[in-house]
Amino acid sequence: MKRFLKWFGISALALGVIAFFAFLYFIPPFMLMKPSEFSGPAGKAGPDLSKISDPGERAMAERGHYLVTLGSCADCHATPTAQGPDIDHMYLAGGMKTSRKGFGTYITMNLTPDKATGVGNWSDEDLMRVWRNGIAPDGHQVPGHLMPWPAFSHWSDEDVHAVIVYLRHTTPIAHAIQKPDPSEPSMGTPAAFEEDFAGADYAAPRPK
Amino acid sequence: MIKRLAAVAAFVAVPLLTHAQTIDGPALYQQRCAACHGKAGRGDGPFAGLLDPRPRDLTSGRYKFRSTDTGSLPTDDDLAASITNGLHGTAMPSWKRFLSPEQVSALVSQVKTFSPRFGSEQPKAIAISAELPSSPQSVDAGRAVYEKLKCGACHGTDARGAGAIARELKDDWGRATVATNLSEPWAFRGGSTVRDIFLRFRTGMNGTPMPSFLGAATEPELWQLAVYIKSLGRKPLWEMAGQEVSSFYAEQAKSAQSDPVRHGEYIAQITGCAFCHSPFREDSTMIDELKYAGGQRFDVVPFGTFVSYNLTSDKQTGLGGWTDDQIKTFVTSGVRRDGSRMIPFPMPWPNFANMKPQDLDALVAFLRSLPPVANRIPLPQSPNIVSYLTGKFSMLILHKDPPLWTYPGNAGAAAVAASSGSSR
Repeated sequence: MKRFLKWFGISALALGVIAFFAFLYFIPPFMLMKPSEFSGPAGKAGPDLSKISDPGERAMAERGHYLVTLGSCADCHATPTAQGPDIDHMYLAGGMKTSRKGFGTYITMNLTPDKATGVGNWSDEDLMRVWRNGIAPDGHQVPGHLMPWPAFSHWSDEDVHAVIVYLRHTTPIAHAIQKPDPSEPSMGTPAAFEEDFAGADYAAPRPK
Repeated sequence: MIKRLAAVAAFVAVPLLTHAQTIDGPALYQQRCAACHGKAGRGDGPFAGLLDPRPRDLTSGRYKFRSTDTGSLPTDDDLAASITNGLHGTAMPSWKRFLSPEQVSALVSQVKTFSPRFGSEQPKAIAISAELPSSPQSVDAGRAVYEKLKCGACHGTDARGAGAIARELKDDWGRATVATNLSEPWAFRGGSTVRDIFLRFRTGMNGTPMPSFLGAATEPELWQLAVYIKSLGRKPLWEMAGQEVSSFYAEQAKSAQSDPVRHGEYIAQITGCAFCHSPFREDSTMIDELKYAGGQRFDVVPFGTFVSYNLTSDKQTGLGGWTDDQIKTFVTSGVRRDGSRMIPFPMPWPNFANMKPQDLDALVAFLRSLPPVANRIPLPQSPNIVSYLTGKFSMLILHKDPPLWTYPGNAGAAAVAASSGSSR
């Protein structure tokens, strides 16, 4: 009887381990989902623009939404989960850690119009500048290999304007972006990094 | 190693020099300018490859925006104006807010050290006649000058920048350049006052196909032309309201259809195709000859190794052998032509699934226009089962963000010169 229990225990444990690995192996089921199930959320994310009363502003915001989708902004500017960026709750609210060897680790900014933690206090000019050449209002330059501003610097002024109009209509989300930990092993340049981020919170608006 | 760290520091950290008593021009240049203009001013910084227009090669002494005669160097004031005001519509920002006038003049001195011409030549601003006030007569006269000087050959008869030879224009470095759309004055790089516009005709834009027109026309005629160009400026989007905006977008969509390759290039630029579909060197400069030819390697933990595909029209290794429908299916659903599927990253096809059909058509038309470059791309590689399971464990159980690594160098088959961009 004792021997039977022992064998039963061992095989149950083995089965459990196998089941656990099988479980790990099969989720998340990227290849089992239809492409349309992936592309749905990306296009539908964002605020209800039909409520904007001025037709001109609505048209601009719709264009901005389209461009934000094509530019894949929310892929990085949303808090990541194991299932991908959390675009249901943290759409454009930032918080993804992004690294490049030799360039260090950065955390994406909160782009929602929240005044304290987002870009609510940034002027149109501030947003336009960071878009074209990665220079934030506090003067630090976003590394172009993490936030691809060099690839985005070709946008026409009118399209950037449409994006700004759209961003101002997104739901403000209070989400303070912490400065990343410089001791992160992927950080290539701790000294340079500390110098750049000597301030408290780089996403917070600075007095002009 | 120290040297490399210092170089990286210059790009990553761009702290304000607020406490500096004496201004260290060379250091300020490395902090503020080298990311695009390169460490030695050759216009080959890490971000240069993705920029259009390219950052100026400061060693050549050829500058577009001057108040000096054609072929001459710019004055210190010209250089300071470009740094202070920026070049509108490009990645060159206005530094007014971040640099003091003293810092700007330190940078002017630094920029001048890159070209030996500044040692031997004394640029002098030209004397120009009084500005012509705008009137219906001067605008009409300017229109006649526009025809006489054949401005429309490049800028188009409608002045929208799509003239007959606009697509063939090359600058002195052999790179394609564009004829400015004259109906959008806010994007005039050198400024949009009548005087700014006049100076471009009077002095030419060195290094570009835009010549000085002095001689072909008299100075009063050039003033008339400047007044006419100024009058072409349309209302910008940010001043429009109501139905105006919708009709503006409708008109834009219509003109996009008349030139799908140009529109497709814009779509490729705003979606950032070249950012992944081009390889970069160790020092992060783009390998120019392989722009759009793929070869950048991505490790997507725990899903394996992916190399960005060759988008040029090469028949064997690029998109030349793909049909339009196969390209569109991949871009919008991640399904390859052999029926296999791509995970939803690093290529963000779930976002591109929202692309409007006319934009998708234009994008394909642009990709077809890319000259063929042979660069055979290896197939994606799955990780071994141990790293796959540990990767997934840390992602799902430990809730660690799945890391994505990119690597320098070309992972495709095309041979690439080992020399780095900044030592060319």
